[in-house]
Amino acid sequence: MNILEVRNLTKKYPGFTLDGATFDVEEGCVMGFIGRNGAGKTTTIKCMLNLAHADGGQVFFEGKDLLANEAACKKEIGLVLGMVSYYQRKKLKTITEVTKQFYDEWDEPLYQSLMKRFALDPDKKVTELSQGMRVKYALALALSHHAKLLILDEPTSGLDPVSRDELLYIFRSIIEDGKHSILFSTHIISDLEKCADYITYIKEGKILCSTDAESFKDAYRLVSGESEDLERFREQLVGYRSHAFGFTGLMKKEDAERTAGLKIAPADMESIMIYTEKEDGHESAAE
Amino acid sequence: MKALLNKEFKLCLHPTVFIYLGLVLMLLIPSYPYLVACFFLCNAIFFTFQTSRENSDAMYTAMLPVSKAQAVKAKCLFAVIVQIIDLALMAGVMALGNLFLNPLNPGGTDRSISFFAFAIILYAIFNLIFFTSFYKTGYKAGSSFLKGAIGVWIWIMVVEGLMIASHAVLESGNTEIPFFRFLHEYVDIWPATNGAWMVQMILLVAGIAIYVLFTVLAVRISIRRFEKVDIT
Repeated sequence: MNILEVRNLTKKYPGFTLDGATFDVEEGCVMGFIGRNGAGKTTTIKCMLNLAHADGGQVFFEGKDLLANEAACKKEIGLVLGMVSYYQRKKLKTITEVTKQFYDEWDEPLYQSLMKRFALDPDKKVTELSQGMRVKYALALALSHHAKLLILDEPTSGLDPVSRDELLYIFRSIIEDGKHSILFSTHIISDLEKCADYITYIKEGKILCSTDAESFKDAYRLVSGESEDLERFREQLVGYRSHAFGFTGLMKKEDAERTAGLKIAPADMESIMIYTEKEDGHESAAE
Repeated sequence: MKALLNKEFKLCLHPTVFIYLGLVLMLLIPSYPYLVACFFLCNAIFFTFQTSRENSDAMYTAMLPVSKAQAVKAKCLFAVIVQIIDLALMAGVMALGNLFLNPLNPGGTDRSISFFAFAIILYAIFNLIFFTSFYKTGYKAGSSFLKGAIGVWIWIMVVEGLMIASHAVLESGNTEIPFFRFLHEYVDIWPATNGAWMVQMILLVAGIAIYVLFTVLAVRISIRRFEKVDIT
């Protein structure tokens, strides 16, 4: 069952258009939402939750129109938009005291254990926290009211590798019961390799694809060959990088299978994104 | 709404609210245009809205399980509560002041029920202009306050000006102008005679009606405007 359905979400800004974003988040899954800086990840999330006023489209949470049932739906959603940037001069315990009043499902022991796990001091002010600690505090708030859907915008940016790994582990443990889901936007692709079941890829305001992580990777192959092969296969390459001994690049799986004479290897998410995003499809070592 | 109001008082309230509430004591200054004291409270509301903006309150609130409309209502209700507290304190100070001091005020409106009605209308004007202007963008607190302040000062100048003029004209021995006589005998007088009681109570009821009407209208317009605002 889909916990979240986004249909044709559109938002026009001068110089940027979110163009009919459509995707689903399934119950019990982690959906990775990927794209470059400025591709429209945050805009999509903001339009989904009525932080930004969408020009068109609909969002359904558990089958209900989210906009028409905004308050009720948001009770079941935990939202983290990067690090905590609000009430910087207030103590964490003051912000928590206010925040927890909004949730019937607030789990104080869970909150306390998260604060301990993230080594957060409730007597500190937001401004005294590092960037990573602010993200952790935002996560502690979002995780403590048993949200069915966590929407996290760049939650791992600014975190050290140990904390990131710990967080990804927490994400996996949250969805284990099959009832919770996570939509997780990032440009740190290696995090998604570790924990995402599904991938939605946005480029310049358009959703390029939304599929399970394995199919996403399996749709492409990394190929490498010698310089003279490049001319022959240039048309089939999604993107490539040439160097002194030849080239490496990305091809659609079906194209790669038809080629002869190239070395073919499975593609990883990072390579898919890098080669897809190259502006003119290629880059040479000299450039 | 209770949780949202708790947020307004614990996170958003600017400490100057208490200082400006204390300025109700200005009603004890001899010969002073007392409506000016009400203008100061408008400052406190402006500071609170500005502090909210500086602390990304709209972003924080958008993450909570509340609609944008509820967020607007709570912030306006906060301002209304502060204004009601101010009016209550004002009533107390006026009553106490009139026990010991001469209620008649050559520098403006007397400490009377009429003054109380004019103060209520002052807040109604401020709410209508400030709320609707602020929620057009959700961040332009300064220019919204300026517009609100212009409206409030026009009201202060008209009311206090008329009262000062009626005092001055009658004191100069000219008792022929009926409007000024009416002001002096029924509106700007304390303790009130029977006829003046009636006039001042009508003014009070009208003031309350205007306050409710303007504030409800302001909240409705603000909600409609804020729905279109993108929170950044």
